[in-house]
Amino acid sequence: MTELPQTRINENAIKAWRISNTLIGLLIYVIPGLLYIPAMYGDISVIIPIVAGPSAFILHLLLIFVFPKIRWNRWRYDVNEKGVDLYRGIVILKRTIVPVNRIQHVDTKQGPVYRKFGLSSISISTAATTHEIPALDDETAAQLRGMISELVRKAKEDV
Amino acid sequence: MSEFRRQHPVAAVTQFLTVVRQNLVPIAIFLVVGTRNTDNFFWYFFAFGVISTLILGIVGWLRFTYRVDGDELQIKKGIFVRKNLYLTKDRIQVIDITEGILQRIFGLVKVEVKSAGSGTSSATISAITRDEALELRSLLRGEAKKAEEESVEIEEVSESDVLEWRLSGRDLLLAALTSGNFGLIASILGAISGQLDQFITEENMYYILDKVPGLGNTSLFVGVFILIFIISYLFSFIGVVFQYSDFKVEKKEKELHITSGLLERKHITVPFNRIQALRFVEGIFREPFGYGMLFVESAGFEQKSNERSIVLLPFIKKSKLNKFLSEFIEEVEQPEKTVTPPERAFLRYLRRPNYILILTVLITWWFWDFGWIFFGFLIPATFLGWLRFNDAKLSFNQKMMTLQYRVLAKTTAFFKKNRAQVSELTANPFQKFGDLTTAHITVASGAGGKAFSVMDLDQKDAEDILVWSTGDTYEQQA
Repeated sequence: MTELPQTRINENAIKAWRISNTLIGLLIYVIPGLLYIPAMYGDISVIIPIVAGPSAFILHLLLIFVFPKIRWNRWRYDVNEKGVDLYRGIVILKRTIVPVNRIQHVDTKQGPVYRKFGLSSISISTAATTHEIPALDDETAAQLRGMISELVRKAKEDV
Repeated sequence: MSEFRRQHPVAAVTQFLTVVRQNLVPIAIFLVVGTRNTDNFFWYFFAFGVISTLILGIVGWLRFTYRVDGDELQIKKGIFVRKNLYLTKDRIQVIDITEGILQRIFGLVKVEVKSAGSGTSSATISAITRDEALELRSLLRGEAKKAEEESVEIEEVSESDVLEWRLSGRDLLLAALTSGNFGLIASILGAISGQLDQFITEENMYYILDKVPGLGNTSLFVGVFILIFIISYLFSFIGVVFQYSDFKVEKKEKELHITSGLLERKHITVPFNRIQALRFVEGIFREPFGYGMLFVESAGFEQKSNERSIVLLPFIKKSKLNKFLSEFIEEVEQPEKTVTPPERAFLRYLRRPNYILILTVLITWWFWDFGWIFFGFLIPATFLGWLRFNDAKLSFNQKMMTLQYRVLAKTTAFFKKNRAQVSELTANPFQKFGDLTTAHITVASGAGGKAFSVMDLDQKDAEDILVWSTGDTYEQQA
C-alpha cells in the first residue's frame, strides 16, 4: 500500500482540460478589466492594469498549454479491496487513501466537454468528503464504478 | 397522542422575539437613524412593524399544530405557505429539549427534533410543557412504556446511580477568567466604537481633556484601549458564566446528556454511535495552568455549522481527562506506534510562522516609518514554531488514533480507526525536496468533514498512517 498507485487516466483528458481551461480562463480577464476603471479615473497607477493584462494572458496560456499536461502526467489511481488510492497535484502533491469500508456511494458524471471526448469522471463519497477520479473513458468509468460498489458491498458484508 | 395539538400561547411571543433577535442590527440602525427624525412619521412606521410581527407570531402559533401518529411525528405549520412535516421514528436522531428564559417563566420547554438526511429542516416545537415534551420524547424514542419511569428518573437525577460529571463553581470561575473570548469581543467593540463618530467631535474631546487633569492625547488613546479591554473581558467572563453554569454531563445507556446554562438551559443529547472524534483544546490562557476544554465532533443529523462541535467539558484538568474518557466514553489505549516530525523538520517549523509575519511587517513598514518595530514579533513567532514542533505528534494502535498539533492553542484529537474517513498526505515542492509530508486525517462532522493535520512528517513514517487507515498491519515500534 505504500507504493504509489500506477493506473493512469485517459490521455484525452489533456485535450478536454485544454478546452475547458480555455473557457474558464476567460474569467481571469475580469480582474485587469476591473482594475482598468479606477486607473481611468486616476485613482490608481495606470501601470497596474497594464501589467495585469499581460499577466492574465500568460496565466491563461499556462492554463491551456502547461497545466493540463502536468496534471495528466501526475494523475495515478488504484482501486483494490483495501481502498481507493489517488495520487495527483501540480505544485502540491497529494496522496489520498479512501478505505473501502468508509465509502458511502460512487457516482459517475460527465460534463459537455467530457461528453465530446467520451470521458466520464467518478466521484467517491464518504461521510465526510467527496473525491474525484477525472477523465476516464466511459467504459472504464462504468466498470470501475461497478467494481467499487461491489468491493464496498463485500467489505460491508464482512463486518 | 393522536389529536393535533397546539403549542402553549407563549410560542407566539417566542416567535416574535426570535424575529427581533435575528434582526437586531437592522432594528438598532433603524432606531438610531429614525429617532433623529423629528416628525412622528417614524414612530407610526415602527409601531406598524412591531404590531405586524406580533400578529404574524400569533397567526403562526394558531397554524402550528403537531401530533404523534403511530411512529410518526406530524407537524402542520406555515402562514402563507402551509407546510406539513412528517418525521418517522427511525429517522429521528436526536431530540433536544431547551428551556429559554421566557419558557422557564411559564414552566415550558422548546423541543428540537433532528432527523437524518439533508434537505429537511429540523422540526422545532418552541413552547410546550415539560411533561408534554417528555411524553413526546418517549413516544418518539419508542419507550412509551418507560415514559413514567423516565420522567421520575429525570426529576430525581441526583439520587439515582447515573454516572454524571459536574462543573464545580471554582472551575466555572477559572474557566470564565481564562476563556480568551475577549479578543473577539474587543474587536466587535472596536468596530462599534468606530460607529460612534458623532459623539467623538472636537468639542467633546476638548471637554473631556479639559475635565480630566493630566490627560494627553496619547494617554486618552491608551485609556480608551484599556477601557475596551476591561469591558470585553467582563463580557466574556459573564458570557462563560451564563453559558456553563450548572453544567453537567450524564451517561445514559446509549447516549450522553449534556445540560448547561443559567438563564437559558440547554439540553443536548449525544448518542454514542454518533461520536466521530473528541478534541481536547488547551487555550493559551489555560495551558499554563494545565486545563483545557473537551469537544465532541458528531455527525449524522442535520446541524448548523456551529453545532457540529459540541462542548462536552468546558473546563477540565488535563491529568483528569483520561479518567473521564474511560468512565464516560471509552478507555484510551496505549499506542503501538508514535510518529513525530524528524529533526530535519525543526528549522522548517521555526521558519513557517515567520513568512506571513515578515510580509506583513514589510507592508506596514512601507506605510509607516516605524513599522520595523514589528520585527520584534519574530521572536514570539519563532517560539511558536518551536512549540509547534514539540507538540506535533501522531500515535495510533489498531483501534484508534491520537493526533496532536498546535495552531495557537494546543489541540489533541482522539478518534477510532473506523471513524477516520480519509487519510491524505500532501507535499509542497520544498517538503518533497526534504522527503517530508503533511498528514491530514478527516473525520465526519455535522454534514461535512473535519480534517486534522500534522505537518512535516517523514515520508516513510507518514505512509504507515495510510497503511493503518486501510486496516493493514504496519511496522510496529520495538
